[in-house]
Amino acid sequence: MAPLYNPFIHDDGKKPTCMEMLQLIVDNQATDEQRTYFKQHMDNCLPCYKKYNVDMAVSELLKEKCSGENCPDDLVAQIKSKIKMMNA
Amino acid sequence: MELEDAPRQHYTENEKQDIFNQEFMPHIHSMYNFGYRLTLDRDDAKDLVQDTYLKAYRFIESFQKGTNAKAWLFRILKNSFINDYRKRSKEPNKIDYQEVETYYNSEEVDRQITPDLRVESLKDMIGDEISNALNSLDVDFRTVIILCDLEGFKYEEMAKILDIPIGTVRSRLHRARNLLKEKLKSYAKSMGYNNA
Repeated sequence: MAPLYNPFIHDDGKKPTCMEMLQLIVDNQATDEQRTYFKQHMDNCLPCYKKYNVDMAVSELLKEKCSGENCPDDLVAQIKSKIKMMNA
Repeated sequence: MELEDAPRQHYTENEKQDIFNQEFMPHIHSMYNFGYRLTLDRDDAKDLVQDTYLKAYRFIESFQKGTNAKAWLFRILKNSFINDYRKRSKEPNKIDYQEVETYYNSEEVDRQITPDLRVESLKDMIGDEISNALNSLDVDFRTVIILCDLEGFKYEEMAKILDIPIGTVRSRLHRARNLLKEKLKSYAKSMGYNNA
């Protein structure tokens, strides 16, 4: 059972669409209360459940595979030496 | 967050060094990854990150100690990219944002066909596919995905970094995710997932 209060409701009282709720969740912008509500919502909404799983899998894959470009050590040294020169 | 327009702070030389080392340098790997994902070239990424850090030092008195250094640095890097690097390309890609906004705000949007991709087909992607898919997106779409998914920025921070309204951040992210899924779906198909 979803709680009576929907924490996604817009300031003007307008009910949010599934896509609006899903986007806040996937974009990692939702509050804890919104997350709890959405988890319960997914129990009764198969399209949201499916989209959520795919979107989160893509997001995890991005984090895992596209974050690994570490700054080369010589760049840190170059920056520090240029700053020293600026201060000289 | 304009460098020249922000209220000036007054720091001693030691304070400047402390801010630079303790608040700016810890973000260098994220900055390099951002630079690389924007330019798609390691040498250009190095130049871009170096320019950004030197600019950050030169304008350090526009930065208020203890505030969001990461967002401040990302904004400088993004602006340097637009001003110094993007201009070099012959014809910058253009996106019809009006169309995107209309798409996003339409009541029909929930009935729009979004790419139907399966989690199972994503599990076999070894890394190149997702990286290639991300790199193939127009730089403005790529940027919002990097800021949101890789760096965990909030809508408000992204709006400030990119100088666009929050509504545009959201619509751009929505569109970017769909484009990314379309790419991944075509990879999945080529890998033999006919019902990807």
